[in-house]
Order: sequence, then C-alpha cells, then structure tokens
Amino acid sequence: MTERPAAARLVAALLVSVATLSISTAAQRSGGAPAKPTPHWPDGRVNLGPPPGEKGIWTPPGIVQLSLNPKSVNRASPTSHLPDNITLEAVPFQPWARALHAARQADFERDEPHTRCKASGGPREFITPYGVEFVDIPETKRIYIFDVGGPHTFRTIYMDGRPHPKDLDPSYYGHSVGRWESESLVVDTVGYNTKFWMDREGTPHTEQLHLVERFTRTDLNSLKYEANVDDPGAYTATWTGGFILRWSPGTELFEYICQDNNRSPQGMVGADASVSRQRRIVP
Amino acid sequence: MTTRFLSSALVALAALMAVWAAPVNAHHSFAAEFDASKPVTIKGVVTQIDWKNPHVWFYVNVKDEEGRMTRWACEMGAPHQLQGRGWLRDTMKIGDVVTVEGSLARDGSKRANARTVTTADGKALGAASSGDPTTRP
Repeated sequence: MTERPAAARLVAALLVSVATLSISTAAQRSGGAPAKPTPHWPDGRVNLGPPPGEKGIWTPPGIVQLSLNPKSVNRASPTSHLPDNITLEAVPFQPWARALHAARQADFERDEPHTRCKASGGPREFITPYGVEFVDIPETKRIYIFDVGGPHTFRTIYMDGRPHPKDLDPSYYGHSVGRWESESLVVDTVGYNTKFWMDREGTPHTEQLHLVERFTRTDLNSLKYEANVDDPGAYTATWTGGFILRWSPGTELFEYICQDNNRSPQGMVGADASVSRQRRIVP
Repeated sequence: MTTRFLSSALVALAALMAVWAAPVNAHHSFAAEFDASKPVTIKGVVTQIDWKNPHVWFYVNVKDEEGRMTRWACEMGAPHQLQGRGWLRDTMKIGDVVTVEGSLARDGSKRANARTVTTADGKALGAASSGDPTTRP
C-alpha cells in the first residue's frame, strides 16, 4: 500500500506528459513554437524535401479544402486553412458547376474517382492522406512529385523552359512546366482530362482548365499551396484557393497499391447490380 | 497490488493515447459509407483479417443472447497508418476476442468503421478511422 502514492505519481507524470505533448503539438500548429527556417540547397534554391541526412514527406493535416466550406460532409482541419482563403460561396461557379458540386456533396462525395484508385490531378494530388514527396533533380531540369495515394503515381514538372505542346491529349495530370519565383515554385499546367475531381469536395472542371500552382515553403514544417483556377468552361472568372500542408519528419513514402483490396466503391454505392444506370451521375 | 494498479493505469493511458491520436484522413469519404451518429460496439471472435490497402478489413463473429451468430465486417485505416499507431500485422489473430468501437454503415448492413479495437488483454489501439471525432471540429 505504501507504494501506491509512488505509482500514482508515476501515472500522473505520464498523464501530464501526454497533456504537455498535446499542448506543445497544438502550440506548434498554431505558431506558438517557432519552426526551423526554410531549408535551402547550397545554390540558394529552396529545398522542398528533407534537409540532408533527414527524412520527411508532406501530408495534409487531416482533411483540407481548396475553398472553405464548413458545411462539407467532411470538415477540414482548421490548421490547414490559408489566411483569408476563398469561401465556397465566393467561388465564381457557372450554374451547372455549382449544381454539380452540390450534387457531389449531397451524395457524400461517394462518386469520387480517387476512391476507385484513379489518378487525381491538380490540388487533389496533395489531399491524399499518405503524403507526397518532391524530388528535385536540377541536372535533368525536372521536379517529380511522387504520390502514393490513389494509384501510386508520379507527376513530372519540366523546369527546362519548354512551352506546353500544342494539341495535347487530355490526361489526369496534364502537362506541367515550372519555374522558381524567388522562394516559390510556380507550376503552370494545361491538358487535363475530366476523369478526376480536382479536390475531394467535388469542385468541377473542364478540359479548358489552366491551373497555376504556387508552392511556398514558409518554414521547415509548412508548405503553402495556392492554386489559381482558370477554367472558362466551369467558372465565370479565375479564382484562387489553397491550403497548408504539414511536414511529417522521419517518415517516407511506402508501397501503397490501392487496387489490392479496394472495397470502398461497393461500400459507398452498393454492388454493381444495385447501381442505378438512370442516375445523372453513374458512379 | 501496485503492479495491478499500474497495469490498469497504463491500459487507461493507452486508451487515452488511442483516442488522442492525430486526425486521420482516408482515401474515401467517411460519410459516404458510414454514419458517425450511429455508434456501435461489437464484441466477438476474429475470423478473418485482410491486412491490405487501401483499408484493412477484419471480420468478427458475434453471438447474441440466444446463441445466434452474426458476421460483422470492420474497416480500419491503411496498414501504414495502423503501424503508426502501434499495430503489427499480427497484432490481431484469428480466434482473438476483440471489442470494436466504431460507426455503423449507412446502408444498414453488418459493416462498421472501427475507431478503436480492444483486445482480450485490454489493450486498446486506435484504428486510424477517418471518422475519428478529432477530425470533426
């Protein structure tokens, strides 16, 4: 019995440690503790990967949204919000695009191609829970974005100054050319197909989509992602949305084969025989 | 006595850690398949474990008071996410008695999204559920 107070003190200390860890993590996310500065390569280029000798990848801090929608069926983590990000109401949808977005939300996002293990271009590439890695190879003037979520793919950003080809065949990731503007990597992409949602909320686009993404590593732990959407097929004006990705130190990409045992489509819409082919959107 | 007290306290601590785990994202919309307003507790014997992407699924036979057996299918996060929460692929074995806390499927079938799984020895592990309450501010 005399040992009980000592044991109790130990447990209390453990609980205090957990509480302290929670508070310090929250403090770091809210900017309470200063993060290390943005890493750079010896030539001054921003390093979008781990500092030499370290590991890490970029992950969304929970669910993130391109435009803020507190009524979404899957609410975003507040730590991912850009200051003054655009709200869903302010997105200049054409009527059909707004209706389609609403329909996708009303269906709890169950028709999303990403959940069928399809590649996801644009912002959706960064909303996979399993993280992305930027592989910058200046010798080849290319930056690759490795993405294990969805169908475990990569995307190429040409940094050699080439223009977009004419008469592109529409594709999931389109054709991306990039350049550095001071501390930001700016990527210009055209040539998208419409077989993916550009975010998990169901924000529509057409083959006219021209996306300009800006990646800014504001400190070691934070990557500001901004996407300028220019799509006269779906919107009445250009608009910009984005979110903040979190550095996950000590972690690396891993083998992730979504097709291995993907039961989500059946779970969300039922077996093939039960799917209505009369619906406007056939999952 | 002290050992038992410590064990109980550490189990409680583990449960706290499981609940406290960071918010989880998933490759599909939680709300499309499960209903967070319909919590469920499933206690039974593990009959099958599919330790695969994009989600780990396991199956539990549950016997009711009248002896009838029902087979439940339970979804967890991806193997990679579970490993980050202390799971190994053989943490749960066929024949184990487990208690699953989670949310029911929207379609009323015997499926659930697991939030925590407690093994017979009282060890509670987070299931990397996309429906974790911490994802819903």
